[in-house]
Amino acid sequence: MPLLRPFLAVVLTLLAANPVAAQDRSRVVAVNYPLQYFAERLAGDEAEVIFPVPADVDPSFWRPSIADISTIQSADLILLNGAGFATWVDRVSLPRAKVVNSTAAIEDQFIRTESITHSHGDGDEHSHEGLASYTWLDPILAIAQAEAVAAAITARGIAPDDAVATRLDALRADLAELDRQATGAFDGMQDIAMIATHPRYQYLAQRYGLSISSLEWEAGAMPTEAEQADLVALAAQTGAQVLIWEAAPPAEAFAVAAELGLANIVFPTLAQGVDDQTYIQAIANALTAISEAKP
Amino acid sequence: MIRAIALASICAVAPMGAAAHQLTVFAATNCEMVTVEAKFSNGNPVMLADVRVLDGNNTLLLTLPINEDGTVAIPLDSVDHSGGLVIEVDTGSHDNYWIVTPDDIARSCQS
Repeated sequence: MPLLRPFLAVVLTLLAANPVAAQDRSRVVAVNYPLQYFAERLAGDEAEVIFPVPADVDPSFWRPSIADISTIQSADLILLNGAGFATWVDRVSLPRAKVVNSTAAIEDQFIRTESITHSHGDGDEHSHEGLASYTWLDPILAIAQAEAVAAAITARGIAPDDAVATRLDALRADLAELDRQATGAFDGMQDIAMIATHPRYQYLAQRYGLSISSLEWEAGAMPTEAEQADLVALAAQTGAQVLIWEAAPPAEAFAVAAELGLANIVFPTLAQGVDDQTYIQAIANALTAISEAKP
Repeated sequence: MIRAIALASICAVAPMGAAAHQLTVFAATNCEMVTVEAKFSNGNPVMLADVRVLDGNNTLLLTLPINEDGTVAIPLDSVDHSGGLVIEVDTGSHDNYWIVTPDDIARSCQS
């Protein structure tokens, strides 16, 4: 008993010094890495931010398990990207009061796309309209998403209003700096045709007036001979001078593109995070690469 | 060839994906049964499809044909739903799924 009292005093002192550890933190679920990054910056230590998709899985097409959905349903806040991103969100029941669509305020800026043409049974051929989903690659749209995340965190009392406001100001400034950097990096490139290895850059292209045609290559993989032939044909058709890779491929793949006169640029799409780089760092690095490789 | 590439680029633009919006599957639980509804994105009900019911370990519990109105009812006492259920609808050319968690079922029994 004489030993217990000082022990308790130490424990109470530690808990008082770290109130966050003394209570359960709020749990926030994000459907992609950018929203995870925004939520972590905005909520600070006041929340545990979970991005449940395994690192080797494309979050757009992740199929969660029942246990995953149970975890998500029990979160305090569920951050959706909107714009059709993450197909699983339409295949489960999510508690409406906890769900926030981070692009709800910018739906008027969505880019609509035509999808596959096909028929059902004896029905006529038809096609479905889709939406480009990688909104966060446009720093201005990313600011709107960050603001939506901040509002959601504040509304649910996950972190103090003034702390969230201060963090949002800093995040907004970082995103505005990315926009400034992008404006400079893409200056003069509006008349230069580019090809992307995957159709992910629609919002980036729209913001900076770029012309980007797309292939459908697997990220980070060596393109097959047929895919290389597609590149040759598309480069000839468009007169492209730049090839944008969503992930670095083998060196041989860079050489193939270089032989066609294409400048190789890796611009991660960031639905998943990139090792050792934050969202801001990854985009800033890609923009630096564009500035240096500009034809 | 170029047209094919251009089409490929258009088709793959939306991560919502081709398969994602062609067939819509929804399942509602009322404590006694799970009612599954499947329709195409043009609103037409799915008239011919297999409905597979899997448990939380992805073990197939049951396969049923869908009714002509695009629905099928699965009595909860006919399957072990303690770990939740995954409902898959497969028309042969399209497939999609709906996840029912243990909490979904528990909530339906409270209301």
